[in-house]
Amino acid sequence: MAPTACFNCKEARAVIIRPKNRHKLCRACFINIFETEVHETIIGTNLFFPGERVAIGASGGKDSTVLAAVLKTLNERYNYGLDLCLLSIDEGIRGYRDDSLETVKRNAVQYEMPLDILGYSELYGWTMDQVVEQVGKKGNCTYCGVFRRQALDRGAARLGIKHVVTGHNADDVAETVMMNLLRGDLPRLSRGTSIITSSDASDIKRSKPLKYAYEKEIVLYAHHRQLDYFTTECIYSPEAFRGSARTLIKDLEKIRPSSILDIVKSGEDMAALVPVEVRGAGKSKQFGAEEESAGGCGSQNGRTSGGEMAAMEEQLAENEEAESLETEIKLPNGSRVKANRGPTGKAVKAQTIKHCERCNYISSQRICKACTLLDGLNRNRPKTAIEVGVGMEDEESSSTLMRQMERAQLSAT
Amino acid sequence: MSSPESRFNSHNSTAVIMPAKELNKTCMECKEAEFELTVRKRQLCSSCFRRFIAHKVQSRLSVYRAFGLDGPKHQLLLPLSFGVSSSVLFHILNADRQHRLSNGRPLGYDFKILVIEPSTVAATGVPFDQNYEALQKNFPMHTISRIPFYSIFDYIPEMEEIMQDYAGSKFIDDSTRSNEERLAAFRASISTPTSRTDVDTVLLTRLIVEFAKRSGCESVIWGDSDSRLAAKALAGVAKGRGASLTWQVSDGMSPWGVRFEYPLRDLFKAELLQYAGVCAELSDIIIPDQPPCENVLTKNLSIDELMLRYVQNQGAKYPGVMANVARTANKLNPSTSDSAPTCALCASLLGNVKGNSGVTVANQAEDNHSSQFCYGCMRSRPDELC
Repeated sequence: MAPTACFNCKEARAVIIRPKNRHKLCRACFINIFETEVHETIIGTNLFFPGERVAIGASGGKDSTVLAAVLKTLNERYNYGLDLCLLSIDEGIRGYRDDSLETVKRNAVQYEMPLDILGYSELYGWTMDQVVEQVGKKGNCTYCGVFRRQALDRGAARLGIKHVVTGHNADDVAETVMMNLLRGDLPRLSRGTSIITSSDASDIKRSKPLKYAYEKEIVLYAHHRQLDYFTTECIYSPEAFRGSARTLIKDLEKIRPSSILDIVKSGEDMAALVPVEVRGAGKSKQFGAEEESAGGCGSQNGRTSGGEMAAMEEQLAENEEAESLETEIKLPNGSRVKANRGPTGKAVKAQTIKHCERCNYISSQRICKACTLLDGLNRNRPKTAIEVGVGMEDEESSSTLMRQMERAQLSAT
Repeated sequence: MSSPESRFNSHNSTAVIMPAKELNKTCMECKEAEFELTVRKRQLCSSCFRRFIAHKVQSRLSVYRAFGLDGPKHQLLLPLSFGVSSSVLFHILNADRQHRLSNGRPLGYDFKILVIEPSTVAATGVPFDQNYEALQKNFPMHTISRIPFYSIFDYIPEMEEIMQDYAGSKFIDDSTRSNEERLAAFRASISTPTSRTDVDTVLLTRLIVEFAKRSGCESVIWGDSDSRLAAKALAGVAKGRGASLTWQVSDGMSPWGVRFEYPLRDLFKAELLQYAGVCAELSDIIIPDQPPCENVLTKNLSIDELMLRYVQNQGAKYPGVMANVARTANKLNPSTSDSAPTCALCASLLGNVKGNSGVTVANQAEDNHSSQFCYGCMRSRPDELC
């Protein structure tokens, strides 16, 4: 069979079939098109301003490595004038994170970017290895996700940087959209797709420049530019449940490759249609989800587990049962229908943004999620492991997190 | 063992269990008849079961009733496919109508029935003439209209131009041919099952809406079960039509000024099948669903089919989670920008919903067709590569 010429330049030999639209491209054109599309996303959404200091949340995995490489290239090619650096979180998982951090350290040299590493142990007094020892392998991803979200913000704050970019790709975003639809989580549906997530209460914004880039194309890009990245999945979720949304999206991609992008488009439109009163509220209490569902964890991000689905099923069944009992006693026909009809029929408590009383991190609750989780951990920590004896009564005034934060800040200065 | 106490305490004692068994056999609702079915963990007799299902449907349509006492009578259109869901919907509305008429109570609303000849929609369509005759014979008091799919050219004259623009230069509409052949040629120009199903749904909807308008109906009442709506919501999202869920899945105003209602939204497909099972009058009318083909590769399914299967499979384990999908979609606000330009084919919004600053639309702007057709329709166009 004669070699096919590149769809774009019509000259070089095509070596890549683009997963997104099945165009056959040569290596140079693919790399160029991939970079140009990220550039268009950045320009189209006014993501950066000249002179902005930006921290790249780097895990050493393919997404963040490609993000760092592309941003460095684009920054030089189009003179964005960005001051880029790498920010890594050390969760404290031996055999996984220590290896991937080596990758990040090499990346820092390769891309000539300063690197800052912030550890869970330093921040929270617990490494993930210790957390798993205590809570077991099930459900430890919740801890990791919640801790990581805060850790990136704290790391950026320590560097005096107000913009953190993460390697979330189109597949992650599409997965989040489907998952939030399956979970019936309107508040997250309203914010999961936006390229920049920032709240009025925090001065650190998060963004995902690769949100329109296909995971498969990220892998291809990394491969063809021979980038140095780390491929092993987190050892604590090798059996990671390939959640419903994930499987569904893989099937959809087989049927229509554009599906991933189409879901992102639908998600963006629906986000704008979520009633304003509902947007701020969160459901994390109810179904035990992480604060940000696509929480940046290489293997578990955005995926729901069977247990979560079963728990929700149970709860919905209970609601239904209660509702049907109520309906049978009294039947205010018209009013019931009206209440269901309105898009805002269901009373949803508006969320007020406060600061955690312990650590001052933004939280919708009195005590933020990380502090709540830490409470649980510290309560059960074997006595010998407690560094400073903190009684239940004292916890209100002096939390572990606060102490660790102070220490972290001291060591940074 | 033979002492009286031990007999009462023993689990094996027939003296204790027997009366309890007797008790369990009665309907939990009327406490009289024997129960025949289990629905939502309750054992009901067939008449209480029918009342339960009918109540779920009628409460969804009560807005039309509320004004009905002295005010104008609302006219609704019920498209009937002879499938289980729309047939059950018809049966429930008919029973309610008869009940009201015989009691001299006001109707509030009345409905017309529209049959789009199934044989003109699906190539593998089952003959439906017998079912149609049974419908007419068993329910002579209803206005039933029957039109072929290709009458879309008669109902919407501008459709041939829209189709030509949509299908692009590769497709040539031959106006000397019959409407039936022209529609077939247009549909054949669309290559993938996903796009074909998608465009078919758009065309069917437009034909039904146009019929509703011409026959003075203010609303279309669709026979989509909860399971179907969940599948529609997921498929809509997967096809880039998320913004249209506010009328494709939610009750609300469609872009054509005709309201869409989905009164079966609280009922699972399995419950509708149960209902059909206890209504002998429906057995001549319903064309049973074709069993899903087992040996189809995922990539050869349409997205709509994939989602139906997904909802069926997952719904067996998590019925509540699936039901919640349609409920979630029903909570979205309809898009408010009335004057915004809409798609020539499906009437969805062109570009993004107000407040969405995403750039997916910009990514495909190189194609000048996007000025006329929406994102979702662009994806189903004949010369799309995928």
